Amino acid sequence: MFKLIGALMIVSCTGIMGMIKAREYAMRPRELRSMQSALQMLETEIIYGATPLPEALEYVAERCEKNISRLFRQVEQELIVSHGCTVKEAWDRALYLYAPPFFQKGDTSILSQLGNCLGMSDREDQSKHLHLAMEQLKLETTSAKEKAKSQVKLWNYMGFLAGLMIVTILY
Amino acid sequence: MQVDSYSQDIPGFAFKQVLSILPVNLGDIIKRLPEKYISNLEEIRLRQGRPLLLGFNNGDKYLTANGELVSEPNISYIITVEDIQRVTRLVSKSSLYALEEELKNGYITLPGGCRVGLTGKVVMDGEKVKTIKYISGLNIRISREVKGIAEKLLPYLLDKNKNVRHTLLLSPPRCGKTTLLRDLVRLLSTGMPAIKYSGTTVGLVDERSEIAGCYCGVPQKDVGTRTDVLDGCPKAQGMMMLLRAMGPNVLAADEIGKQEDVKVIEEVINAGVSLLFTVHGSTLEEITQRPALEYLFNLKVIERFVILGRSRGVGTIEDIKCGSTGKTLGGRICSS
Repeated sequence: MFKLIGALMIVSCTGIMGMIKAREYAMRPRELRSMQSALQMLETEIIYGATPLPEALEYVAERCEKNISRLFRQVEQELIVSHGCTVKEAWDRALYLYAPPFFQKGDTSILSQLGNCLGMSDREDQSKHLHLAMEQLKLETTSAKEKAKSQVKLWNYMGFLAGLMIVTILY
Repeated sequence: MQVDSYSQDIPGFAFKQVLSILPVNLGDIIKRLPEKYISNLEEIRLRQGRPLLLGFNNGDKYLTANGELVSEPNISYIITVEDIQRVTRLVSKSSLYALEEELKNGYITLPGGCRVGLTGKVVMDGEKVKTIKYISGLNIRISREVKGIAEKLLPYLLDKNKNVRHTLLLSPPRCGKTTLLRDLVRLLSTGMPAIKYSGTTVGLVDERSEIAGCYCGVPQKDVGTRTDVLDGCPKAQGMMMLLRAMGPNVLAADEIGKQEDVKVIEEVINAGVSLLFTVHGSTLEEITQRPALEYLFNLKVIERFVILGRSRGVGTIEDIKCGSTGKTLGGRICSS
């Protein structure tokens, strides 16, 4: 009896671990996509509205996904609170605190790169930089999607199968 | 004693606005100044690699890192690249792209009506200025609003039926011309119970955002209850727009001088609207030599010439002349 309960626990544990891993793969393209649309919104605000950065960030934060909105709101707060800090400083601090959870290092560095030029040039130039970042994110998204396709199923099964394997060895 | 009369209005709000765009290190130095200097402060000049200079109404002084005013530049605080960049960021809220129009004109108006002039490397787009990059010099001008300086002048500008006469304010730079015009506009539009003048609709074309100090289109200075302001609009076009759309009884504008302005003025006068405007210059003879103004004077429509100077401090009204007879109606009215 105990053996059976133990075996069930092992299987469910490894199964859940596998599912968590699979979720990571599944969520990354989604997050990348919503970051893209957030940047798109920011671009619209900057190019057509000529809205000052803090207000533009606030506007975007109100309209995008929770994980990303946290980042934008943090940048806005940093800009308002610290007197005269650069966008780069604010952006990097916010990325350190609230980087979207499923982003990988490469994804974050695209954003960090964007922080270098945000705000400090004319609209044409801003548009170019934002487009570059969006383009890079798009590439990441396609590769992340492909990875997700194979990996999600794999990890979903692998968790359970590994559990079953352990159980059969020990039983 | 005009010097002191100016100080009443400035410190509080305008000074706070200025502090809000200064980085902490500069703000701390300036805050250490004694109250009497702060209230007479007119300009803060920041030039990269050069000493921090403060302009007062009776001359300018360098400022040391300890907040002492000195006359020798070598011991004063030297403005760093970092300082300039921080001020630029604070002025623009980290968004230079939002200030494209302002950069083309070379200045930014802050909430509260203070203005920041900018210099640096100008980027051209064909024949027009596109933007300024590498901003290296800033001039923060603390604008003043001295309510009541036009009270003594106003009666001279009204006829028996309390209609406003066509008036030209003539003044060399920095003699309080804009300040006087602003107060006149305020009195004309709100009215002045002391002389039983109830006020009338005023249209104000504020091409350089100096008179009303608009921020996001809203006047930051008191320009009266019946004043419509067109901010940042070329004078000739603006006067026609106001004339057609807002039905003003008085039209006010700053610094008339171009041929096209004079053409519109002629039209405005024919439409039965009173005019109030300023011209740069120190004597009537001098400005008559400018072709555009000569044409205007030959029309003999201006009824009052008000000549400003600094003989008894900024804002002294040196002379008020009648346009038709050329006689002096009253002079040496001090600003206070």
